[in-house]
Amino acid sequence: MQSYWFGDIDGEGCHPFVGSPADQAARLESIDTDMAAYIPVAWEDAVRCGFAKDRGDYLQKLRNLCFFIAEAKIADHFTSRDIELVQMVRMLDELDDVINLLTERAVEWYRTKNPSFSRKYRSLSGRRVIQVMKKERDRAFAEIIADIEKLQESRTRLMRDVTALADTVIPNCSALIGGLVAARLVSRAGSLEELSRLPGSSIQVLGAQSALFSHMRTGSPSPKHGIIFQHRRVHNADRDVRGRVARVLAAKLGIAARIDYFRQEIDQDFLNASQEAVDRAGEGT
Amino acid sequence: MIWIDGVLVSEGKGGVYGEKMLRNCRIWDPYRSKLAAYYHKGCGHELRKDDVVLYLGAANGTTVSHVADYTECVYAVEFAPRPMQDLLAVAAKRKNIVPIMADASRPEWYAPLLEPVDLLYMDVADPDQIGIASRNSVFLKQSGIALLMLKTRSIDVRSDPGDVLAESIARLEESDFVIQETMWLLPYHQDHAAILCAKK
Repeated sequence: MQSYWFGDIDGEGCHPFVGSPADQAARLESIDTDMAAYIPVAWEDAVRCGFAKDRGDYLQKLRNLCFFIAEAKIADHFTSRDIELVQMVRMLDELDDVINLLTERAVEWYRTKNPSFSRKYRSLSGRRVIQVMKKERDRAFAEIIADIEKLQESRTRLMRDVTALADTVIPNCSALIGGLVAARLVSRAGSLEELSRLPGSSIQVLGAQSALFSHMRTGSPSPKHGIIFQHRRVHNADRDVRGRVARVLAAKLGIAARIDYFRQEIDQDFLNASQEAVDRAGEGT
Repeated sequence: MIWIDGVLVSEGKGGVYGEKMLRNCRIWDPYRSKLAAYYHKGCGHELRKDDVVLYLGAANGTTVSHVADYTECVYAVEFAPRPMQDLLAVAAKRKNIVPIMADASRPEWYAPLLEPVDLLYMDVADPDQIGIASRNSVFLKQSGIALLMLKTRSIDVRSDPGDVLAESIARLEESDFVIQETMWLLPYHQDHAAILCAKK
């Protein structure tokens, strides 16, 4: 017997399948085609057994089914929540770039208006320098400064959202290194599934690709950390134990990502043991 | 194939992906499409009005839309969700495109949907491109033709593209194919070769 999307064909004849595209799609999933005995569809059979009127009708019905399946699969793909998390993190990083770029350019402009202004020997952060420049009267300039401020607000809000979403989507990773850094790891890996398939050693240098490849090509020292450097226990660690902290943390993150992907729940015992292992790695020899 | 003053075109409603028009025909850019590059290199196998095509690696559907202009029906297989969204938009306007969201390396999944095809066209970025081709040869008619766009860099970045091509040809001949013609798609596409083969 040959099973096709429109029905089964056996020695006795054709048995068309009647149902909505959703039913057809479900049936298609259940067909287990034996490729050794497989014969491609003869569309005339679908007409002969009354499934379709003619070639045009056959193709139209087939297209309806294929559109249904594709749309369902796409929707399914985009509803997995780590996909949205990835997009949010990338937007966040892009916002940072844009805000810095605009601020720098605005400062250059501001200097021509205020010859005595210098940022060099004052500790003026991006945020503070915006506050200073806000006092400028020029209409176009003031509007741009206001826009930059608005972008900063959006950025802050988005960062809060990213952290909150990360806490629910990747609770174990977030508990280990904080929601934002955990989300950046997922973003760099591509998806939570891909992150969960990475070994700890890859997670350790995720985001340090150029250093890693120059290490492999020229034998320069290997990178100790990539994105996970942003976590305080790594960048606050003493230089001589930083590599060890990064390695232990990355190894635990690999396990955490797997728990997040396959079990989707927080594992307190694992977290306690991991936190302790990371802290021990940072205590020195 | 339809040429107007040395420009490859296809007949159909324009404005699919912002392609330019020439005397009411859609210009088929060889720098964008490997199949167009293949015809610009002066190759033999032409698309016919009554051909049924299995197109593996349909991507955003730009080349697919031109193939659909020339042929009776195109079964377009694509795996990734993002390009699939674009492909669906193209297929919504061209009634002879059947968009199949599936993994080309697992033909058993979409086998119940397919009829015998005259042309198996393949443009997938997969290290096992040849294996995918031979698994899909079951859909080819006895008189059918397979046209593979070999992405040598996707098969092995470290080897020399020439070696990859030679090895691929050997593997194809071991499976169900007889090689008829191979050529590089320079200057239009770097490190891409077109392999035309018939079914054994």
